[in-house]
Order: sequence, then C-alpha cells, then structure tokens
Amino acid sequence: MTTDNSGDVRLSGISKTYGSFTAVHPLDLTVPQGSFFALLGASGCGKTTTLRMIAGLEEPTAGTVHLGDQDVTHLPPYKRPVNTVFQSYALFPHLDIFENVAFGLRRRGVKSVKKQVDEMLDLVQLGEQARKKPHQLSGGQQQRVAVARALINHPKVLLLDEPLGALDLKLRRQMQLELKRIQTEVGITFVHVTHDQEEAMTMADTVAVMNGGRVEQLGSPTDLYENPRTTFVANFLGSSNFIEAEVDSRSGEEIMLKAGGGKLSLPKARCSAPTTAGGKMLVGVRPEKISLTHADDAGEIPEGRNRITGKIANASFIGVSTQYVIDSAVCPEFAVYVQNVERDSRLVPGADVVLHWSPAHTFGLDAAQDIDAGIETVEEEAA
Amino acid sequence: MAFVRWLKRHLVVIAGLLTLGYLLLPNVIVTVFSFNKPKGRFNYQWQRFSTDAWKDPCGVADMCGSLSISLQIAVWATIGATVLGTMIAFALVRYRFRARGAVSSLIFLPMAMPEVVMAASLLTLFLNMGAQLGFWTILIAHIMFCLSFVVTAVKARVMSMDPRLEQAAQDLYAGPVQTFLRVTLPIAAPGIAAGALLAFALSFDDFIITNFNAGSTVTFPMFVWGSAQRGTPVQINVIGTAMFALAVLFVLVSMAIGNRRNRQKA
Repeated sequence: MTTDNSGDVRLSGISKTYGSFTAVHPLDLTVPQGSFFALLGASGCGKTTTLRMIAGLEEPTAGTVHLGDQDVTHLPPYKRPVNTVFQSYALFPHLDIFENVAFGLRRRGVKSVKKQVDEMLDLVQLGEQARKKPHQLSGGQQQRVAVARALINHPKVLLLDEPLGALDLKLRRQMQLELKRIQTEVGITFVHVTHDQEEAMTMADTVAVMNGGRVEQLGSPTDLYENPRTTFVANFLGSSNFIEAEVDSRSGEEIMLKAGGGKLSLPKARCSAPTTAGGKMLVGVRPEKISLTHADDAGEIPEGRNRITGKIANASFIGVSTQYVIDSAVCPEFAVYVQNVERDSRLVPGADVVLHWSPAHTFGLDAAQDIDAGIETVEEEAA
Repeated sequence: MAFVRWLKRHLVVIAGLLTLGYLLLPNVIVTVFSFNKPKGRFNYQWQRFSTDAWKDPCGVADMCGSLSISLQIAVWATIGATVLGTMIAFALVRYRFRARGAVSSLIFLPMAMPEVVMAASLLTLFLNMGAQLGFWTILIAHIMFCLSFVVTAVKARVMSMDPRLEQAAQDLYAGPVQTFLRVTLPIAAPGIAAGALLAFALSFDDFIITNFNAGSTVTFPMFVWGSAQRGTPVQINVIGTAMFALAVLFVLVSMAIGNRRNRQKA
C-alpha cells in the first residue's frame, strides 16, 4: 500500500448560507482516499449542497475544501480533478453517447479519444449504443453513460448526486451492486449522496447521516444501525422502539432503569445520554432484536433479559417474518419482527405476551429530543 | 347510414384538410396567377397560360431594386434582432436583477401595440432627432419590432434548458467559453433559429412601419402597394411564388436532414 492521499477529501469548517437560510452548518469531514462514502439524509438536509461545494458548483460561505494536500476552495469546477454523476444524469441531449463520454477528454485536449471511449463504453456494457442519442436509451443505460462520462477522466474523487433516484426498485438494486463493483475495481474515492438508507448501507463503507444542515452521526453502516446516538438516526436507519425510562442506579458497566412497573438494564457503553440518577432517558431497541413469548410461558424466559409485558394489537405475516404491533404500558405501539422459524399458534391479536431481549441490544438516548424525528421524512421520500 | 358512419370516422381528417386548404388557398391563387397573361394592367382575371413573367422576373421597372432593399433589410434586421434578442433572453432567464420582471413585461409591449401607432411614434421620434429617413431608419425600426419575437422564442427554449447541463460541462473541464459554445448554444439553437426565421419573415413583409419611416426608399411591400393603385404586374406573383417555394424548400430540406440524422443514430 502506498501512502497516496491525493484522493482524500477534507472539508474544514465548511458552511453555506443563502440569505438568512443556512443550508449547511459549519462542517468538518474527512473522506479517506479510496473509500465509498455516503451522505445520507432527507431532502433539504444539506447533503447535495455539501456535494456541490466539493464539486465547485457552490461557493462555500466559510471554510475550506482540500483534495489531498491541494486547497481547491476557490477553484472553478472545470479546474478541479473531480467529476460528478448528476441527479437525472444531465447527459448532453445534442451529442451522442460516444461524444458525451468523450466530452471531458476532448476539453482537456486529449487527441485520440476513440480507444479510451470504446473501452469505457465496454466497461459499462454500452458498446453497441455509442451512436445513439441519450433520449434513445433507457433510464438504466443513461445512468451508466453518466457514470462512464465521469469515470473516463480518472478523477481523484467521483461525486454521485442521487444517481439511482430515477430508476425503478429492481434496477436500483442491480446498479447498487454495479457501482460498488466499479468502485472496488477503479479504487477511486466515491462520495455518494442519497436519501435511501438501504442504498447508503449496502454501498458505503462510511455513512454520514445529515439532518438540518448538520451531520448527526458518522460511522460504518453497522455502527450507525447498532449504536444510533440520536432518535433521528435510530428512526431514519431502519426503525426503532422507544421507551421513556428513568435512571434508577448505576453499577459498573451497567445502568438500571425504571420504566412503567418494570426494570430494564442497559450497558453503559451503549448510552449516549446523561445518566444522573432520577434523570429521564429514552431506551431504544430494534424490532428484530426482540423475542416474543406467550404470557403462559413467561417462566421459561432466561434470567437477565429485559422484559416488558403487553398484548398483541396486530400481526401481519410477510413471509420471512411476522410483524407484530404490541400494546404495552410503556409504549403504545411496540413493533416486533419475529422470524418464521417456529411459529407459536397462540400469538394472535389479543394474546397476552412478554417481550424480551438481551440488554446488549438496548441503546440509551437523551430524552430531550423528538421521539419521532426522522420518521415522517422517510415516508415522504418513499412516496 | 353508411355515409354517416364514414363521415364520423373521417371527420378529423376532413376538418384538417379543409383547414389546410383554407390556409394554402391564397398561395395557390398567387401561384396560378403568376402564369397568367392579363389583358390590361390588372392581374385579377384569368386570361390564358403564359410563362412570360417567369422568363423576365425583373421586367418591371424598380421592382427588383425594391426586392433587393427588402432582402438586405430583412437579413440585417434578422442578424441584429437575433443577436440582441438572444442576449436579452439569456439575461432574463439566467440572472436575477432589479426590474427584471418589469423588463420581461416591457419586452412584450411592442408585440401588443398597434403597429400603426408604433409607426407614427417612430416617425415622430426620427423627425425630432433630425434623422434622415431611409435604409437606416427602416433597419432600426425593424430590429426594434423583431426583437420581442426573438426574445419570446429564445426565452422559451432557454427556460426549458436544464441548468445542470452547463454544470455538467463545467464539471467535465469546459471553461465558460467552451461551455457556451459546446453546450449552451447548440441546445438553444432551435429556439434561436425559430426566432431568426420569424424575424426575417416579419421584416421582409412589413408594410405599415416601413411606409411611415422609409422616406424615399421603396421596399418590396411598398412597391406592391404602390403598383396596386395603378395596375399589378404579373411579376409580383412570380416573386411571391418564388418566396413561398423557397420557404417550403427550406422546411423540407431541414426536415430531411433531421430525419437522416435520426436514422443514422438509430
């Protein structure tokens, strides 16, 4: 491994305001060379503005942009060694596919472009379509042209602005794998903007979740999913159940909490909230970490697990799993996903049940935030 | 019954053909009468077939001179109005500046104003400035009234243009000049061409404004008007037919080029 860092992207204190509206609050971000980095958030969270500041299409109000050791903050886009795959592709309608892909090479005065363009078109499996106009191609093909047009310039960083947004679900899954393959093959730093949490998690090594012009949390997909530090992240990536609890006592690495009549345990390492005794806290747990046992068998549940009692309000069978909604004293709509391995025929709406899960799957969040943050926006985007 | 059903099925086609006929009938008449050999000075009654006028299109005194002046004015007015109008259209769509809304509406005013009013006020203006009426005053007037049409045509095109295309060009190492020449201009070209054609047609056949501001210069429409008082030479129909044929040819050729290009790509 060489210590080449020319493909690092370093944003220092970068911000963008439009009049009185702040699109991006001062932000520090380092994307290491060769990584696949995703900026994830709902529309209007500042992720595209951040991307456009890296591309040079937006001048930051404050702060600097570095590519490797070079300060590019004030360089115009055509002098930056980065290329962008635009939302809805922005292919030149008056040029054919070949000329679209050759555009960047020609502008830099490369004389013989034929060989490179042909190779590039083969890489994205569009060799046959070279002489067609963009509007004659399908959405997926146009998307591949857009990627080819950017990659042929061997940029230090490839920026992708919602590149798969216009494709249908099946094609999107396919292109996700395709883009990931290309990234691994060429080893270029990819910065990917998306509102689709699944897309961010399947493709990126590192994800920055943005909300309201700020980075809420940054980490690997597993880290973000297992250890969300805000309700926004917990709700935006997958879904979470929250119980309002009160800190009871602390012993070593464990925090004991009171919720309703029962007690819950939470590892200290998984708590991002202040833990003064008597203080309020939000206890979160993912629906698929929870086991469901009929109240008659409550005695068989092993000791040391967090448990809550409730009544099944709704059950929907969706093949690989069954999704239950449980009505309990501490949380009116507790979601539980149970794998269809051994189905207990007693678990029907109206049945009394005990929900239990390992304390290690519990996370604690500051109670002073909106429990529903990040929920609305997800549904809006999906519509 | 069968006839009614047939009529129902073909009503759209029949209506279309009738409308087309309505539109083209004047041109047909002009063409037919360009082969007439009239008795006397007026070419309003069919006598017999002749190609005399086609063999000697400039046989009428001063007519080809006026045609040449009209063509010159039309070409220069088209160039002037297209260049200025394109720049105005880009400015109005792309930039936010004070009084942009006002400018945008004012541009339409010359189109809405009665031509004769504009003609008279232009004459007043020229006389007060002490300008000598003639080629230049006509040209200035033509550029002025063609401008609105060019702006409208180009603006529509520029507005529908995705700004990301230019950003993509910049992102792909094209500087401002290259971006304009390689991306902006080619994409805006159909709008600019439409504006230019409109300007040419408007300038070439304008009578009212020209008549007010021409001084002793005589353009082709003025010549036709003038001769209509004393007798209409067949050559007027010849020129009319030739202009129509040229326009049709122009459209056909551009369509053929477009089709061939599309077929090559497919």
